Amino acid sequence: MKSRNKLRVCVLSLSLACACALVQAQDVVIIANKSLSFSQITSAQLRDIFIGARSQFADGTRAIPAVLKGGPVHEVFLRNHVQDNPDEFRVRWRKVVFTGQGAMLKEFTSESALFEYVVATPGAIGYVSRVSDPSAVRVLTVEH
Amino acid sequence: MLRRGLVLFLFCLCAVMGAAQDLENLQIHGFATQGFLYSSHNNYLTMKSSAVSLQWTEGAISVSDVTNKLRIGIQLHMYHMGQFGGPDVRVDWASGDYKVNDYLGFRVGKIKTPLGLYNDSQDVDALFLWVLLPQAMYPNDNRDYDLSEMGGEVYGGINLGERGGRVQCRGHVGASQLDANGGYVQQLAEAGLTFPTPPGGKTYGGDLRWVTPWKEVTVGVSALSDSLDGIGPQGSVHLPASLTFAYYAQWRWNRLHLATEVWKTPIDLTLTMGPLSIPNTVDQRAWYPMVSYDVTKKLQIGNYYSHYINKAGDRSQPENYSKDWVVSSRYDFNSYMYGKVEGHFLHGTALGYYPSVNPNGLQANSDMLAMRMGFSF
Repeated sequence: MKSRNKLRVCVLSLSLACACALVQAQDVVIIANKSLSFSQITSAQLRDIFIGARSQFADGTRAIPAVLKGGPVHEVFLRNHVQDNPDEFRVRWRKVVFTGQGAMLKEFTSESALFEYVVATPGAIGYVSRVSDPSAVRVLTVEH
Repeated sequence: MLRRGLVLFLFCLCAVMGAAQDLENLQIHGFATQGFLYSSHNNYLTMKSSAVSLQWTEGAISVSDVTNKLRIGIQLHMYHMGQFGGPDVRVDWASGDYKVNDYLGFRVGKIKTPLGLYNDSQDVDALFLWVLLPQAMYPNDNRDYDLSEMGGEVYGGINLGERGGRVQCRGHVGASQLDANGGYVQQLAEAGLTFPTPPGGKTYGGDLRWVTPWKEVTVGVSALSDSLDGIGPQGSVHLPASLTFAYYAQWRWNRLHLATEVWKTPIDLTLTMGPLSIPNTVDQRAWYPMVSYDVTKKLQIGNYYSHYINKAGDRSQPENYSKDWVVSSRYDFNSYMYGKVEGHFLHGTALGYYPSVNPNGLQANSDMLAMRMGFSF
């Protein structure tokens, strides 16, 4: 009986570990407006665009970053591609705004609203958990 | 009091109504804070801190309109801290900003002055763990004069690739005037000089920083030249151009944040009162190490030591040094609201003390509890 309980605990622990690993490995899809002529972006360029250090893509097109206001997709994007947590990211942009050095990023409360904005705005770049209509946007591959 | 309450109410209303408004290209953001000080001895920053003081309220609202390369914005700021500031709303910054590309941009108007890590952001409480930034560099009583100027700025940056990081630079020139309700004017008044128009002068300087590719290590240097002239009924004040140098570094590694700065400011001020010409030479040296840690997503803790000495004076006398050990914590209730609690262990009386609120003299050492609540949207 005892050994059966031990086995259950082991299986449960293993399942939890696998679930955690899956969440860690989860990534978002980087999407951009279809007007862009390229399908790849380096991880450094992507980060620079979202921290305000770069306002243009490599081809000179103006980049307009769009973000979600919060939630797990936002957290995964920040962790994997900006190396910030949501608080650090918010402080970073508040500093830009309140010191007169720039404007706040476009923020959206839902993935669908962000997706529609990217579809409609030349130069827009954002992220979603999955792409419902791949033909409407350009899905960017991130080079590490 | 009523006006202060009204301003706070309006800020609260804005926050409740759903954070920042974004009407196409128009952006509106703001913040408001309420501070509390209690010190064991001495009244600090003109507040009656030895008897518990709530005389510290601040608020700001910024409006920006952004088009492709042009951004126009204004930030209005109100602060009331002891005898400083007051109910009047003043312009914190107001500028037109044209960014040609990632390498070059221009900003004209009332602009924030870059100096060290935090000079241009020192009035935005929501950005920091600390209730008070190191007063050796960022004295709250003279903030309005230190943090902005009327003039122009050229800024830019160069990306050096993934192995080189990024270099950013800013150069500025302009003019600035002492805050009529600030610390310098009060110090001059206590020395017997008043001015119908606060003294002012030319200012110029620059900032060069390298954001290295290694774990967000940033190193940099700033320089700032200030001069000051003013004439009043009792006499005049003259400060020839004096150059401040600030060297700084900061590092972020996961939940750990480290920062340090070293500043050097030589000042040769001359006060003239009737036939008397009184030279006043001060050689200010200041530095601090700072460390903070994100315990959880909502809780931050930290510690810094702020060191200031006047090298031109007798350094054994408390009026020529200020050494402050600080422990602090901040809790973010949500994305908009936060609270801070901070302990100060102050040695020396060179910074932040005024005879008018300490009529019985100053004690060399004092402990202080500081708290601040705020919200930002």
